[in-house]
Amino acid sequence: MLSMKNVSKVYQTEKVQTHALRDFNLDVSEGEFIAVTGPSGSGKTTFLNIAGMLESFTGGTYCLDGIDIATLSDNARADLRNQKIGFIFQGFNLIPDLNLFENIEVPLRYRGIKSAERKRRIQDCLERVGLASRSKHLPQQLSGGQQQRVAIARALAGKPRFLLADEPTGNLDSLMARQVMELLEQINAEGSTIIMVTHDQELARRTPRNIQVVDGQLADFTLYQNNNMDAVANKSVSSITSAEAASDVSPSSASEA
Amino acid sequence: MFIHYVDLAWRSFKRTPLVSIVMVSAIAVGIGITMTSLSVYHMMSMDPIPSKSDKLFAVQLNTMDDGNQWWTDDNLPQQITYKDAIALYQADIGQAGMKIRKVPSTRTGFSVHMDRSTTKPFLESTRLTGRDFFDMFELEFEYGGAWSTQQEKSAAPVVVISHSLNQKLFGGANSIGKVINLDETKFQIVGVTKHWDIHTKYYDLTNGAFNNTENLFIPVSLLTTMELPTWGNTNGWKFEEVNTHQDKLNSELLWLQFWAELDSHEQVQQFENYLQAYLQEQGSLGRFDRRAQQFAVRDVNTWLDYNRVVSQDNRILVGLSFMFLIVCLANILGLLLGKFLKRAPEIGVRRALGANKTQVFMQHLVEVSMLGLFGGIAGIGIAQLGLWGVRQSYDYYSALATMDISMLVAAPFIAVFSCILAGMYPAWLVCKTAPAIYLKTQ
Repeated sequence: MLSMKNVSKVYQTEKVQTHALRDFNLDVSEGEFIAVTGPSGSGKTTFLNIAGMLESFTGGTYCLDGIDIATLSDNARADLRNQKIGFIFQGFNLIPDLNLFENIEVPLRYRGIKSAERKRRIQDCLERVGLASRSKHLPQQLSGGQQQRVAIARALAGKPRFLLADEPTGNLDSLMARQVMELLEQINAEGSTIIMVTHDQELARRTPRNIQVVDGQLADFTLYQNNNMDAVANKSVSSITSAEAASDVSPSSASEA
Repeated sequence: MFIHYVDLAWRSFKRTPLVSIVMVSAIAVGIGITMTSLSVYHMMSMDPIPSKSDKLFAVQLNTMDDGNQWWTDDNLPQQITYKDAIALYQADIGQAGMKIRKVPSTRTGFSVHMDRSTTKPFLESTRLTGRDFFDMFELEFEYGGAWSTQQEKSAAPVVVISHSLNQKLFGGANSIGKVINLDETKFQIVGVTKHWDIHTKYYDLTNGAFNNTENLFIPVSLLTTMELPTWGNTNGWKFEEVNTHQDKLNSELLWLQFWAELDSHEQVQQFENYLQAYLQEQGSLGRFDRRAQQFAVRDVNTWLDYNRVVSQDNRILVGLSFMFLIVCLANILGLLLGKFLKRAPEIGVRRALGANKTQVFMQHLVEVSMLGLFGGIAGIGIAQLGLWGVRQSYDYYSALATMDISMLVAAPFIAVFSCILAGMYPAWLVCKTAPAIYLKTQ
């Protein structure tokens, strides 16, 4: 359902060409739960942004449910994103002026769902994340874990086929991180496909499939199984260090990616 | 979605109340100033009698000897002599049943006093004209009507008074048959006109285009019998001994206006043919020495343009006020840029959640439209204040310094349109922002 073939992303400035992704190949099947790990600046977020059609790519082919993304206009990509993809961010990205109900309502409004249906879906999602009684609260009245659960509820409300999570537990303590992870696992068990970028090796081990992004490319993850994640991480660090020395990736642009 | 955008705009105003108030105030001041000058310009330039402005024609005759110059573009005086006015007035022009209506008119004045001690005498300007004047210029009656043909022929002392004078003298009651004293002559009231709502005194531009209309109307025949003086302009082009009233009537002095109602192109043609023949006849009688006859008939709007009722200064003033509005909008544009770009992270989230560029653009356009609407409404208040100031400062503009319904409706539209223009660039800038940049940094 998600297929990337030789996808590349180059950030071009006057003097520097930064390859955030190079010949990136990935196929994701329906119902998978994939953890994407890799060192900082390796291109994980760039991959996630391209997967979510928040960024364009420079080369290669990206198909989502058989639709060639490169052929779509910006507005068509936004509509497709709205229908098929849910986002969960490290910083939650809730809109501070809107209460929980209204925050979850945002993607549903853009989809043109009728008011009664919106209300029903929002109530369902809030109950699912255990915050039904706080629908009128503003985000700043909640803890970090609760805010992330709201963000998950918002992502789920549109019933997306894909959930893209960028460091969903990055701003949470370990207890809350576990709770969020359990929620994601539950969502995956119900059929949603999840791609999660994380630095947390423990969380990554809990997912059925792990991929490593190193220097903008997929590492040969068949060599590394869940039990060897630390070794993978060490290897990745050494590999990117040596790659940086040889490549034209500047430290600042790498951190952007 | 529109209601949702309105809701978002309202939340945005509440989030930054000070900036919002500054922007609304800037629009309000810009619109207020613009609408003040535009309203005056609009009233000056509007068609004073739209239902028949193309049927009423001012008549000009060139009765000067060759070699004499007038200050108009085509060397034609705006007024005509008494003898021409009366000759044209009495001429039977047009076919039976379709006679051309026409009237001479000029301005005189009296001291008005009543046979009672409670009303102090006062001076009032008076229009001397024919009985068809009222019908031709759509001056309706509250009581009574115009004097009869017989009364006009016999120079009977009859008068039509205005609504406001009737209010002043008789408290608005039906005053038909009552008598008022104009100087030392008793005049019987035969008609009371309704309020005459014209802003430009187009039928007589020689005494100030924006002066008030007269409150007294009497038959033109009284001009000779009462030897009435003119309160208007008298122009001449050659030296003449004018010692008596009769001398003036016989002279080549130009001091009457003349209007004809020509309902069709055929009537215009007939009337022009008559004027041509009349001037030829007068020339052959040795009244003036001209090789070619020259005359003109101009409809109301052409007449206003010809007399430059709306001066270049007025147009420049309107232009300057629009320039001021542009300066206000430039400031608003800057404030909007700052406000919208500060919101880019939120827009990044909305884009990630499925908002397309068009939706983001529309959201911001609705916000600037609301700013414009609020500014426009406040601007109407400022414009009213400005117009009040004009009325207080210049009595001459008192009838013009008002906002009619079209200007009231136009003000918010101009404000909204201006704000949309100013807000397009900031809205476009924020909607084309790459959302991914802000999602990680929020």
